[in-house]
Amino acid sequence: MARASGYLKTGYGQQLVLVETRMQWMLLALLAAALLALPLFASFFLLDLAGQIFLAVIGAVALMLLTGIAGQVSLGHAGLLAAGALVTGILTQEAGAPFWITLPAATIAGALLGLLFGLPSLRLKGLYLGISTLALHFIVVFLGQEYETIRGFSTGISVHPPRIFGWELYDPAAWYYVLLAFDVVVVLFALNLLRSRTGRAWRAVHERDVVAEALGVSVFRAKLSAFVISSALTALAGAVFSYYRGFVSVEAFSLFVTIQYVAMVIIGGLGSILGAILGAIFVTMFPYAIEAALETTGLAAALAGYVFAINYALFGLVMLAFLLFEPDGLAGIWRRLRDYFFLWPFRKTPLAGGE
Amino acid sequence: MLKKLLLTGAVMASMAGTALGQDSYVVGISGALTGPGAGTYAPVIEAVRMYFDKVNKAGGINGHKVDLVALDNQSNPSKAAADTKRLLLQDNALIIVNSSLSSTYEPMINETNRAGAPLLFGGSVCPTQVFPKADPLLFCTTSFGAHYDSNMALAFIKQAAKEDVMIGFSAMAIPVSRGEIDYAEEQAPKMGFKPVAKEIIPPPTANYGPHAVKIKDAGANWVYSWAPWVTQIKTFEALRTQGWGGKMIAFGHINAEDELARVKDDGFYVFGANALFQEGLPIHKEIEETAKAAGATFPVTQLAEGWVVAMALDAALTKTGWPASREKLAAVMNDLEIDTKGLRGGPVKWTADNHFRTDAFYRVYRWDSAKNAIVSESDWVSFPVN
Amino acid sequence: MQLLANYLTLAALYALIACGYVLVYRVSRVLTLAHGEVMMVGAYLLLTMGTLFHLPPLPAFIAALLMSLVVGLAIYWMVMRRMAGETVFAAVLVTIALGILLRGAMALVWTPRLQYPAEAIAMENPSVALGGSVAVSQASLLIIASAVLVYGGLFLFFRHTTWGVRMRAVGENPRLAAQRGIAPHGPLALAWGIAALTGGLAGMLLSIDTGIDEAMAIIGLKTFPVVLVGGLDSLSGAIIGALVVAGAEILAIYYVDPLVADVAPFLVLLAILMVRPWGLFGTREELDRV
Repeated sequence: MARASGYLKTGYGQQLVLVETRMQWMLLALLAAALLALPLFASFFLLDLAGQIFLAVIGAVALMLLTGIAGQVSLGHAGLLAAGALVTGILTQEAGAPFWITLPAATIAGALLGLLFGLPSLRLKGLYLGISTLALHFIVVFLGQEYETIRGFSTGISVHPPRIFGWELYDPAAWYYVLLAFDVVVVLFALNLLRSRTGRAWRAVHERDVVAEALGVSVFRAKLSAFVISSALTALAGAVFSYYRGFVSVEAFSLFVTIQYVAMVIIGGLGSILGAILGAIFVTMFPYAIEAALETTGLAAALAGYVFAINYALFGLVMLAFLLFEPDGLAGIWRRLRDYFFLWPFRKTPLAGGE
Repeated sequence: MLKKLLLTGAVMASMAGTALGQDSYVVGISGALTGPGAGTYAPVIEAVRMYFDKVNKAGGINGHKVDLVALDNQSNPSKAAADTKRLLLQDNALIIVNSSLSSTYEPMINETNRAGAPLLFGGSVCPTQVFPKADPLLFCTTSFGAHYDSNMALAFIKQAAKEDVMIGFSAMAIPVSRGEIDYAEEQAPKMGFKPVAKEIIPPPTANYGPHAVKIKDAGANWVYSWAPWVTQIKTFEALRTQGWGGKMIAFGHINAEDELARVKDDGFYVFGANALFQEGLPIHKEIEETAKAAGATFPVTQLAEGWVVAMALDAALTKTGWPASREKLAAVMNDLEIDTKGLRGGPVKWTADNHFRTDAFYRVYRWDSAKNAIVSESDWVSFPVN
Repeated sequence: MQLLANYLTLAALYALIACGYVLVYRVSRVLTLAHGEVMMVGAYLLLTMGTLFHLPPLPAFIAALLMSLVVGLAIYWMVMRRMAGETVFAAVLVTIALGILLRGAMALVWTPRLQYPAEAIAMENPSVALGGSVAVSQASLLIIASAVLVYGGLFLFFRHTTWGVRMRAVGENPRLAAQRGIAPHGPLALAWGIAALTGGLAGMLLSIDTGIDEAMAIIGLKTFPVVLVGGLDSLSGAIIGALVVAGAEILAIYYVDPLVADVAPFLVLLAILMVRPWGLFGTREELDRV
């Protein structure tokens, strides 16, 4: 990557920092200021969209860790989200548990499920692994439906907004900040995880697991830890989602949700947290962007009945386009743009492998 | 700095307003215009729109226009919640109408209860909260209703059956349908029937044959189904294919009229609360004319349900007067009689305790191959709802 | 017994759908997750032959089948061809995206309402008595007959025709086949085309029996376990897989609980994946290759 030159690193500490140059600090500060100030100007609708994006980021980062970094194919993402939401719903309805019990409970449930989902990974790779996670997704959904029917929650389980010392978390602006904080924590966690032993082990297993084993990396532990951590994070996302929406319904966690998250990871660009964030933003905003585009062309009223199908078709088309023509995803595009501006007026791109 | 403060203030005020600053009645609809189930709900929303376009052209209600804001929630609970919030906080809707799958109920109910706005279920299954004792802000005009539907069907079978009834049941594997069939199965022995089979069929089933076999082999001579139309009709067709000669009664969904004409089987009964267009009542002609003039995209036979929703809204808003508020509207709806002009067997009456209707009217129809037309088996039957 | 008749119908349907998966996998090593949607395309094409061109049954079928073949060829030529050399996971994601695109496009063109091609082409689907109080629909018999014909045809094709041998060669070892002068594009395109044809046929016959709406693609997904149980690259395995999974489903419906029947195929799938991932008849190296 092109960086400003002239910054000498004189200690290991300096090598480990996430933000390196003064320029980067400045840009980060600007971004933070913009994000913090947004609720003052945004309409309710934009705040809700932002909230959805933040939620999606948590799930996308989790999937990126598993698929993009550790290379383990998982098609059971929606099942894990559902599990987290269901645990929250069940505990809230049956035991009246407050959020500081349900959230950790959901995370632990996710970790346990991750163990279960991850066991096939020790025998299977690639597609077969994906299929077994898919099967597990169906089973989770089935169990959820049975619970809903047996307990009479045919329209879903209601979850009350979390209360902290009597103050209820309901206002969109308040949720915005809470979710933003969540995101910051998750992203920092992920970035640091990637730099740690575990993260490097994952990358090694992704590249060539036989070689990794030869180098002393326990492939067994790496794969399982990837599944466990990713699933715990995903279940947590599902739990937070259930509080945000105030209800849990198994029908909200369909196969299409899994495909959306996979699309986030692919469109964002496999292999980086930035990719997860960009992908989450893109996929979440996509249907709204389509609606907005339709309105500008004035065809909105005429096409009102077809919006869903158009959405669906275009989503498939965009995903297809990224897979065929832009395998590095949005992160790749971003890097190319950034390099172009950094290197200007020099036109040459950096040598391959210079990240 | 001052400009920013003013801007923020204005934004806050517009977001927090509950009193109306506009000149029209704002009605919000969050429904499945597209997406799963749209086939059932989109016609309802279109009918409501057509109705109020006509009313507005004639001068509106109490001299004010009715502003209908319909948002497509695609049966997605998240979107339904977000859209409802927006309708309440940004558009200042007086009342919200739900016309989508039951998974959207909880989130919408949370939002409307918070805002103190009435929520009308139009075209979507009536939730338990509208039956006595009803939740203060939840109302329902939808023609089908849990338990009363089954009571009707079983009562009809009792009166129509010429021999001992061995009854089979068919439901779709969704909680609503299963719950109702379980109830019917419980009630059957009280009517002197013998329940012999109960099939719960997962939605994406390729072949209804195995399920039909079980019902047929169990010796059922009557079958009752209360499920989405797909399950009902495919169960019936599979039974007939396997040579089953019995009779089946199922709930008449929005497309029942067209399907009866397609299947042309004398032994297939549908019961419903809306008068079929076959009857040619004046109200049917009115709907047909409006639909033709407005260029409706859905067949006119599917518009009755939505028309009733619109009539309910009309009656409620008319009685509330001007200026209106959510509280006033809710109070009015707690004591309202809606004249359905024959579309339902009688008026829809709401009281403080009962937001479903005080009397549920039903009629049974079937295809008569001798007359080559749909006939009604009896006059309107009413069940008091308590 | 009626149960046996239903079982054979279901197994034949699964087998017919499964052979498309196997064809594509055997020749190009890609698991196509768009097959359910391809089935739907076939059914909708049949519908259009009736509503737009008012063709009687037999010409309508032939026309729709030919068009399905073209659709399969087009899928290969426009989309899958570019994925040569990429990882299998990426290719599979492409098929998922393609499936989504097809689903949306179909909803746009034909609307998601339940429609009846049998009416459109004026084809009757009467109940056929097989003696002894057993009756199935005519369409079910057609499905069974088609499955037998298709599999018989494919076996002969792969064993005795030049193109069939070429396709097997490309599937086994593309590089070696290329060295021997077999250009891969032809066999690959043909594989996709025939897969679309058989899938389309399955969709068409199913729609004659029960109509077509957007839910048909899920049946394609349920056929997954069939393919995996039998072995992704084995046609005979697909037949066995169909029999096993259909059997599990019917038994579950009849003796256990219909709801379990929905999950049953996936339970079978998990079991097979744990015990013998490459399926009953598949070649073992499949496992490492993905």
